[in-house]
Formats: sequence, C-alpha cells, structure tokens
Amino acid sequence: MPLITVNSIIKEYETAHALRGVSMEVKKGEWVNIMGASGSGKSTLLNIIGGLDSATSGDVIIDSVNIEKLSEDELAVFRREKIGIIFQQAHLIPYLTAVENVMIAQYFHSMADESEAKEALQRVGLGQRLSHRPSQLSGGEQQRICIARALINSPELLLADEPTGNLDRENTKMILELLKKLHSEDHFTIVLVTHDHFVSTHGDRILTMEDGHIIRDEPVNDLRS
Amino acid sequence: MIFEAKLIGFKEGIKICLVWLVLYSYLLSKERKELIKPFYAGLALSAAAAFLSLLLPAGLISKDDAGNIISMSFAAFLILSGAALYHASGVNLFFGKGDVRSGASAGILVISGSLLFFLPDFAGSVLYLQGLAILKDDLLMTWASACAGLLIAGIVFFSFMKFYKPYRLGSFFGLPQLFLFLSMAKLFGGGIKGISELSLIPSVQRGFMKFIHDFIHQTFVLLLVPDHPILKKTAWDFIGIFFGAGFASAVSLLLLLSLPALFIRHSLFYPLPEPQGDTNASRRRIWALMLSDRRKKALPVMVFMVFIVAAWFSYGGEAVSKIYKPQPRPLAADGGIVRIPVKDPAGDIMDGRLHKFSLFHEGEVIRIMAVRRSDDSVSVCLDACEICPPDGYGQRDDHLVCVYCGTPIAVDSVGEPGGCNPIPLSADVGERFITIEMSEILKKWSFVNSVKTSEGVK
Ligand SMILES: Nc1ncnc2c1ncn2[C@@H]1O[C@H](COP(=O)(O)OP(=O)(O)OP(=O)(O)O)[C@@H](O)[C@H]1O
Ligand SMILES: [Mg+2]
Repeated sequence: MPLITVNSIIKEYETAHALRGVSMEVKKGEWVNIMGASGSGKSTLLNIIGGLDSATSGDVIIDSVNIEKLSEDELAVFRREKIGIIFQQAHLIPYLTAVENVMIAQYFHSMADESEAKEALQRVGLGQRLSHRPSQLSGGEQQRICIARALINSPELLLADEPTGNLDRENTKMILELLKKLHSEDHFTIVLVTHDHFVSTHGDRILTMEDGHIIRDEPVNDLRS
Repeated sequence: MIFEAKLIGFKEGIKICLVWLVLYSYLLSKERKELIKPFYAGLALSAAAAFLSLLLPAGLISKDDAGNIISMSFAAFLILSGAALYHASGVNLFFGKGDVRSGASAGILVISGSLLFFLPDFAGSVLYLQGLAILKDDLLMTWASACAGLLIAGIVFFSFMKFYKPYRLGSFFGLPQLFLFLSMAKLFGGGIKGISELSLIPSVQRGFMKFIHDFIHQTFVLLLVPDHPILKKTAWDFIGIFFGAGFASAVSLLLLLSLPALFIRHSLFYPLPEPQGDTNASRRRIWALMLSDRRKKALPVMVFMVFIVAAWFSYGGEAVSKIYKPQPRPLAADGGIVRIPVKDPAGDIMDGRLHKFSLFHEGEVIRIMAVRRSDDSVSVCLDACEICPPDGYGQRDDHLVCVYCGTPIAVDSVGEPGGCNPIPLSADVGERFITIEMSEILKKWSFVNSVKTSEGVK
C-alpha cells in the first residue's frame, strides 16, 4: 500500500497548463526527489500533494484518504496531523526566537511544549542557538529551524520545495546530512523538489518533469553509476 | 387571561425546554440518544402525578410543603453532582457493581431522575394554580392562561431551535455538570409562585441559616451553662456574630459556591493522566484534547457561579432585609385574666400579620404575640423562646424570624413548643376575644432566658 497515490492530476490555470496528467506513487518511508526545468510543474505538484492547492481534476490519495474530497476544515486537520513542509524561504516569524518558532507549530497542532521544542532544536544541531531570533542566524541555521518545525508534530510525510535553493555547498551538504539522519531515525516519507543534481543524489528515487508531465522515473543508484 | 397563571405556565415550559436541550445535547455527545425516551416518560409521569395530587384531600400537601420538597430536590441534585464529580475523579461509587451503561438500568435512572426533578415543581405549580383559580373564582381561565404560558414557551423555544440547534452544548457537559445544571435550573426557576419567586434563593438561604443557627446553638447550649463566666457581654457579642443574618448569608453563599469551586479546581488543576502514544506529538495531541475538554466543562460551572453570586445579591439581600416588626399594644390583666380583642380599630388578629402586645408586671415588660395560621386557627405565644435573649420575633412572608438569631419559623408551626419556637401559651380563642390566664403567662415567662439580651447581661 503506497503512502501517496497520485492519479492523472491535471492543473490548469487561465494562462497555463501546469500539470497535464500526472500519475505517481510513493511508498511509505521512501525518499523521492522531483527534478525538472523551471516551470515544468514541480512546485504545483508538490503543493497539490500537500493540500495547499487543489487539482483541476484527478485524485490524490494519501494514507488511504482522498484529499481532493476533503472539506477545507478537514484538509486543515489532515495537513496538521500528517504533513510537514519546508520551503526555500524560511518563513520564520522574525520577532520570535528559534524555540518559539518551533513552539508555534506545536501550538497549532495541539499545545506548546517548550522542553520538547528545545530537544528538537538540539537534534538539528541548534542547541546553542535556542533563544536567537531568525535575523541573528545564518541561512543554513534558519533552514534547520524549519526542519525542526516541520518535523515537530511527527508527520508521516515531509514535503520540501528547494530546501537548499539559497544555500552554499557547505550548508547544502549539512542540511542533506541532517535530513538523511532524521529520515533514517524516524522513517518518515520525503518528497523533495530540487534543481540541483547534487541534492537529487540523496534519497531513493528521482522523478523528472517536463512541461507538466513526468517523463522519467529512476532509482538514485542507477543515476550515480 | 390571568397574568400570574400565564407566567407560571411559561416558567415551567421554559424549564422543560432548557432541561430537554441540555439533556439531549449531553446524550448526543455520549451517543446515548435513546435515553431521551425515558426522559419523556418521566416528564409525562410527573405531569400526570402532579394533576393526580389535586385529588388528594385538601391540605395534605401545602404550598409550603411543595416549596420545601422543591428545595430538597434542589439539594438532591446538588449532592448528586458532587457525587458524580467524585466518581469522575476516579473513585468508583458503584463499588464495581451495577453497569449504568446497560439499557434498562440507565432508563430507570433517567425516569426516576426526571420524576425527582419535575414532580415537585409541577405539583407546586398545580397547587398554586388551583389556589389562584379559587381566588380568582375562574377555574377555566386560570388553567387556560397557564396552558397559554406553556404554549408560548414552547413556541419561543421551537422557533429558536428551528434556526439554531446548539447541540454542541453537549461537549460542555459531563454527568457532574449535568446534575449541577439541573440543580441550578431548580435554584433559579424552582419557586412555585409567579414572578415574585422565580428563585429558590430566599428559601435556600433560610434553610442554610436555620442549619447554621441550630448547629451553633446546639453546640453552645450543650457545651455551656448559661451562667458560665464565659457568657459575659463581650463573649456574647462575639458569639452573636455567628447568629447574625449577615454571617448566615455569607456562609450559605460560600456553601453554595463551594461545590462549583471544587468543579473548577478539578477541571483546571487536577493532574491529567499520562497519555499513551508512540510519538511526542500524539501524546501532546491527547493532552491538548483532555485539557480543552476540561476547560470546556469548567465553563458552564463558571457561568453558574456568576449567576449564583448575582442572584444572591439581588434576592438574598431582599430576603434578609424586609422584616415586619409591629409595635406591641399595651394590655392589662383584669382579675388574673388577660383579654385580647380579636378585632378592634387598632388591628385585626385574623389579618395574617403578626400582632404583639405588652403587659407590665412587677417592673418587667412581658410581650405576647398572636398570629393566624393558614388553617385559620390563632396561635398565641410569648414573644420569646427558651434559648435566645428575648429580643422577640419579626415577620417575613410566611415565616416568623427571631430578631436575635435570624432563625426562620414557619407561621404554621408557631405554637409548637421547644427549642427556637416562641413559647406557646394555652389560650382560649373566642369569636370576639382571646383570653389567657395571667398565671399561665407568668409561668411561661419564667422560662424565658432573661439573663442576657443582645444589649448585654442584665
Ligand atoms: N498561480 C498561477 N497562475 C498562473 N500560472 C501559474 C500559477 N502558478 C504556476 N503557474 C504556471 O504553472 C507552471 C508550473 O509552475 P511551477 O511553479 O509548478 O513550476 P516549477 O517547476 O516549480 O518551476 P521552478 O523550478 O521555477 O520553481 C508555470 O508555467 C507557471 O507559470
Ligand atoms: Mg518551484
């Protein structure tokens, strides 16, 4: 039973066809990278899987639930319980400290728990930066807060849209190592969108998109060889 | 239409609707919707029994009795709510026996609960309406008005429910909260008369005052002999505080608030069980659910507390203040006989009000009082009891009140001897005169505790 099943998704905008019939499956615990040229529809697909956007037609089934059929409220609950998201931009609240930014996510899920939030930041290597504000932290450090925040409610699915897009190689490596460690410990599923070939060598599988279609689906190891 | 009758019908109707709404919401949230049927049965039985009570011999149940029973059923629901709270905090009050979830036993409990709740109110209202019908000399109109009131309540409620179904109310009520709600519905809508007695507060307060008074009185009477040195003026001034109406009022308010306060404490501060869950997040989610459930259930209780305090100061204050204290009219003994005219320009003994008379004997003023009871007999007593300093009695509604200690004594029980009752005199009540032997008065007056008055030791 796959965790994610996407069935002939079409997404049309007035001016563009972002997705022209996309189908795919992601197994539980798998790490799938989505690559492709700019404008090929990667973010659109990711947003639809995450319930942030809805498809013009087609089904998205996550953990046996067809999220295209959920009401706005049910979808909010579903996202809160099952999905963690990180973007290229950190989207941290500037006037809150690192711990408080994580606690906000706990609060909207259930209730804040400071010691658990601190522990989560220690896990991503920010034990010394707990009470810093985002502006006092580097891009890599900010992205690590985002990872702690996205994973604090133990989601089954982590969606990442260009998580290392604005980081240098050193920081990119560090973020990927961190994701690898957390993924191997907590066994959540990752769908990651990237331009970067180096990034896509991490994980299990690569989907390549072009003009609203998936044109290739290959395991990571094959590509390396 | 008779306004008073319409009001009684309206009040009973609103009470039924509100209780139905809260109970139904509660049952919905507990997924025991089927238990609303025994509630209807209990409601119907209560109405039937109330009307059947009209067939009982007149005077077997007085309006006063009905009022007392309503107060008692209020107390019963208050106690039940406390018990349910105790049960909910982990103590199994059923001692492991009896499964209330089984259909039959739950149904029987709901029927008896509904009877306990509605029967006293219905019986009281029916009794009052019948009295009203006799007074107005229009049986049909009285009952028609009452039915109209009931109908108006129903229509108001149903039109409200047509647009808005607040069944989410159920999540604010656990069993303890449900019982507390029922007792509050009694407290605020339990009176049997019309608008002047929408609240049980005065009678609850009188009940508490009597309890406090009796308790303190018995303790002091048992522990101390009257001429003990501790009974100096200062000591009595101090003890007097406990007998005062203000003290009793404050304590009864505290007693009434103590149970809701316990609810709040339980809801907000009782330690939560450690939740089971594989991840921190799932444990946190369970915690959050438990906390929000508790807070929700504390909310109606807080509302009740506000209501109690507000009602206390509006009704309670009134109950303590309005005491009628007539001036004693002087009398003289003639040949060892004291004669009180039943009706003369200065007053009519049969008017239901308290009448006082004074006699001068060997430099001492002896006070006598007379009052008509509801069965038209006249009770003649000394204006003093055996326990308190002889400050005498005043009248409030259908009660006499000891001026010194605030104990209420139902007019119909005036004439019974002992304790806090005014000392009865054997008197001959005739058409025109009440005659009492002077020797009887002097003998009884010697029982009066004349060692002390509230002004101090004599
Ligand atoms: N809100 C929108 N309104 C109209 N067209 C849109 C909208 N969002 C995306 N598109 C179009 O849909 C197509 C796919 O966009 P999408 O953002 O998914 O691409 P992408 O693969 O993520 O590109 P990038 O790598 O640049 O982020 C593009 O042609 C884009 O212009
Ligand atoms: Mg994109």
